[in-house]
Amino acid sequence: MVNENLVKDVVKEPYKYGFVTDIETEKIAKGLNEDIIRLISQKKEEPKYLLDFRLKAFKKWQKMKEPDWAGLGYKQIDYQDIIYYSAPKQKEKISSLDEVDPKLLETFDKLGIPLTEQKKLTNVAVDAVFDSVSIATTFREELAQHGVIFCSISEAVKNHSNLIEQYLGTVVPASDNYFAALNSAVFSDGSFVYIPKGVTCPMDLSSYFRINSGDSGQFERTLIIAEESSSVSYLEGCTAPMFDTNTLHAAVVELIALDDASIKYSTVQNWYAGDEEGVGGIFNFVTKRGKCLGKRSKISWSQVETGSAITWKYPSCLLLGEESVGEFYSVALTNNLQQADTGTKMIHIGPKTKSTIVSKGISAGNSNNSYRGLVKMGTKATGSRNYSQCDSMLIGDQASANTFPYIKSQQPNSEIEHEASTCRISEDQLFYLQSRGIEFEEAVSMMVSGFCRDVFNQLPMEFAAEADKLLALKLEGSVG
Amino acid sequence: MEIIEKIKTNKSIDNQTEIQKICLNKLQSSPLPNPKSEPWRLSNKSKFSDLLDYSLNEKDTKFDTPYPNTSQNIIRLVIGDNCQIKLIEENYSIKELSEDELVKYIKKQISCFDQNENWSELLNLSLSCKKNILGLKINGSKIPPIEIFSHASSNSLNAKTLVIFLEKNCDIDLLQVNLGKDNSSLSQSTFFCLEENCSVNHGVVSYGESKSNLLNSLNVIQEKNSEYNLGSLHFKFNYARFEISIKQSAGNAKTNIKGMQITKKDEQISTYTKIEFKGPNGFLDQINKSLADDKSHAIFEGSIIVPKIAQRTDASQLSRNLLLSNLAQIDTKPQLEIIADDVKCKHGATISQLNEEELFYMRTRGITLTEASKLQLSSYFQEIITFIPVSKDRWDLLDKLLNEN
Repeated sequence: MVNENLVKDVVKEPYKYGFVTDIETEKIAKGLNEDIIRLISQKKEEPKYLLDFRLKAFKKWQKMKEPDWAGLGYKQIDYQDIIYYSAPKQKEKISSLDEVDPKLLETFDKLGIPLTEQKKLTNVAVDAVFDSVSIATTFREELAQHGVIFCSISEAVKNHSNLIEQYLGTVVPASDNYFAALNSAVFSDGSFVYIPKGVTCPMDLSSYFRINSGDSGQFERTLIIAEESSSVSYLEGCTAPMFDTNTLHAAVVELIALDDASIKYSTVQNWYAGDEEGVGGIFNFVTKRGKCLGKRSKISWSQVETGSAITWKYPSCLLLGEESVGEFYSVALTNNLQQADTGTKMIHIGPKTKSTIVSKGISAGNSNNSYRGLVKMGTKATGSRNYSQCDSMLIGDQASANTFPYIKSQQPNSEIEHEASTCRISEDQLFYLQSRGIEFEEAVSMMVSGFCRDVFNQLPMEFAAEADKLLALKLEGSVG
Repeated sequence: MEIIEKIKTNKSIDNQTEIQKICLNKLQSSPLPNPKSEPWRLSNKSKFSDLLDYSLNEKDTKFDTPYPNTSQNIIRLVIGDNCQIKLIEENYSIKELSEDELVKYIKKQISCFDQNENWSELLNLSLSCKKNILGLKINGSKIPPIEIFSHASSNSLNAKTLVIFLEKNCDIDLLQVNLGKDNSSLSQSTFFCLEENCSVNHGVVSYGESKSNLLNSLNVIQEKNSEYNLGSLHFKFNYARFEISIKQSAGNAKTNIKGMQITKKDEQISTYTKIEFKGPNGFLDQINKSLADDKSHAIFEGSIIVPKIAQRTDASQLSRNLLLSNLAQIDTKPQLEIIADDVKCKHGATISQLNEEELFYMRTRGITLTEASKLQLSSYFQEIITFIPVSKDRWDLLDKLLNEN
């Protein structure tokens, strides 16, 4: 047996994004009712259709029951004990980044997301969301020259209301599930992207979500529309301070790809996961879904899930258009007492649609890591194909790795292949690497990185490097 | 609650055996399985209620065993009125379990039953009267192959229970045949207990006639160094469920399962398996095949559970499915739940139709499309059929599958 303690030590790295920014915020009272929803809508000066959308969602949510099928054990969430709107106090209208509170800029600087002009990441436009509101979006002018709209969803509601009215809630309807309904009722901010016909977005777009206050939930909503023959790569990152209370994060992401359009959506999720005893951490209940409406359209999800005390997340693709393509590449790492139930749904509706699923789960400590996926071939999905691969790596004998793939076919002229395997970091492999003079920790991290390579290859370059480092840090001290 | 009332009105409380009373009692808290629970979610509700709709029948009609027994070397038993266990006991080391032993064993099993998960067993045991429960204790290794029949009678719901206790170092081949009749329902539960160093080749062949229903459950407990091989085939049922639960109670055991279900017309046949490793060094190799044609629906759900204690488990599960019609449906869900880290576990699932290239190849050699399809199907079936013991020479299963339907 490999020296378990040694490996356990390798995974213990303090959460370096756990600081709190001391900033004056504007919060509304705790609790959830129609008045609160009206207040949020009023604060954001929303049109009536949006308020109606929220109220309808709220009514539906009240009738729904919190899902328990994932078998995640977490203490009951008191939805009346959450602040649904919290925003850093700032001047009414900001015309340039210079007017943003320096403390906020400093926060994002510390997180490695510089927003100031001099330090802007080259070729990545960033929308920074702090608690309930978007504080800044970079490179807007450059993007506007290409006709690309990249702004916070609140701004889009004001400036591009027709697009919001046309598309909001068409991929994830308000009544889709419990958390989507909650989000539809109270969503505060998020990003909006519109890529016009024939445009390849000149740079990667990125949203960075930061939860700062301990008692408010974050409910952002992202909507990306890719018109005919356009393409975009979108990155999402998230962190939160360390609190010993649990914070709720219930987001909704909707993607729409028309004929020949392609959307690549990458996430590195690093919310605070709670301490070794399982105290604190984010409850992450996210509904992400893409609709390949057009012919030959493509939606690709790639995610690296390392944070959150609870992860409940199934980025999905509805493959409607002929020859449309759905992809899902995921690495989920759980340590200590984290629980992750993640996977994807590939719903093949149109003919000749194709989907690929590659999921890698790494479980260490006392954590619980499940892959749950659905592949469905509808009656019209002739000539469609799916390939799924789910691999789990177990580190230590206290963690659990589960695989629950649901496969359903109603179309004989289609093919589905699924395979899953489980392995561990073996003594032989470690010995081999160590005998070549590679340090134990490095050997472990090399093997984990090799295990995840299929997924990392799919990430944009900046993310791939970050993800690799993140996994190495998270795993410190856990291999056995 | 209807089914409970039916059992109660069918039999006065004084006539009930102890087991029937216990099971009825357990069922009362959940008279029907929860349709939202995972094992029952996909079950066709109207077909399931058809199954329960027939009147209860404890008596058997005259039953002619198919394929007359021409061989002296095979032991044949029919559960129910025609059971000739006494004759067998005289000649071989097979004993009928005493009532006490039977009650003790079944009670122990029931104590760990879950109302929803083991609903089929609970129903079976609350229906089975004394003469429809056959309990056998077998030892020795020079036992000829055994065939055991369960059958339903037309227009009724019959329940048969089989309990087999294999003592140390026992080695047997056993084929269980469940036969449905026109408009009938059969509830069959089988309990197997394999002591150390036992080896069993177990076959389960179930087929019905038009509008036959079947609720078949199999419960196996394997002790150390035992080997359990199961070959199963289910076809021609309006509605059938085959629930398999296997526990390797102390690990170090081997399990091989090869099962197949074939659905046509508007039939629904489902297989649920749950394999638990309660000790280290367990081995499992499982393959389940389904074929769905016309408007039918085939379902497979298999779970493999490897707790912390089950280090060095080597388990693999494969679900292969053929979908032959636009209106047919296949659902498959192989599952792994693993906590032990030093294990080799894998599963795979495929759904496709007949291989077009192979068909084309055969047709270019002058084989008609129908013949070519049959050839492909026969190779698909053969893997399972050859694994079913006893049947090979006598039952002509391949011919039945290819030509009868």
